[in-house]
Amino acid sequence: MPNIKNIKESYPPGDFAIWIIIYVELVTFGLLFLGYAFSRRSNIEMFNDSQLLLNQTSGFVNTLILITSSYFVVRAVQAIAEMREENVEASNHRASKWLLYAIFCGMAFLVIKFSEFYYIFGEGITLSTNKFFMFYLMLTMFHFMHVMLGSVILFNIYKKTKTVGYTPNDYRGFETGAAYWHMVDLLWIVLFPLVYIIR
Amino acid sequence: MNKTIKTIWIILVILTIFAYLLGYLKLINSSLVAILLISTFIKGELVIDYFMGLKTVKLKYRLIPIIWLGTVLSLIAVAYYLPVATVQ
Repeated sequence: MPNIKNIKESYPPGDFAIWIIIYVELVTFGLLFLGYAFSRRSNIEMFNDSQLLLNQTSGFVNTLILITSSYFVVRAVQAIAEMREENVEASNHRASKWLLYAIFCGMAFLVIKFSEFYYIFGEGITLSTNKFFMFYLMLTMFHFMHVMLGSVILFNIYKKTKTVGYTPNDYRGFETGAAYWHMVDLLWIVLFPLVYIIR
Repeated sequence: MNKTIKTIWIILVILTIFAYLLGYLKLINSSLVAILLISTFIKGELVIDYFMGLKTVKLKYRLIPIIWLGTVLSLIAVAYYLPVATVQ
């Protein structure tokens, strides 16, 4: 008798196209991470001195925020995945609640990151200041745009849950948006120690 | 299931606090960088398996992000630990 626990799904959750996008994004960010790590070797002192201008606490708080938002998104997906014909409305409602928490987290991340950029630019720092800030600004601004897009995607899913738009047979779009959001979280999990902590 | 996800979230928070304290208390040194990178791998692996939901999917789809994570973190370690050649 086959062990039910060991039966694997044939495809990852959500639309398959999003996984192609996720894999491409991972490679793109991966190259930028390695560009940072190997460029650091050419002037370690300058990288360490420049890093002192970053606010580690806001990087830490933003990491907690993204991890927590991902947790809320998982709970939202669970609410939808466990839906039955008889509780469609309740499941959509429950998912919308978790999504709203996740969207608030996304907004909080953007506000904190924006204040960091405001401080950095206020200090007269630009992409051409030095190699450290070139990588820092490229990585974090690129990631910032992903969080913005992810928040818009979550908001659209939220709007659909409010109109009870997901059914037990149709919630693939929900999982697709969730997968994108988790990718944004995964990228920050690598970015935070690399840029803010390692010296 | 909810309990598992909550436990994963707590582990992620603890590992994040650990990373922050290393930086904030200026404890980071070359041996702790290795531990930090390993803890980052564990965090990424938990997100891939439990948040992205790839633990219950065919291995090939799960392996792509895991190999990506392992390769990126290993090469970051190489960049950090490889001796820097100095020009005489």
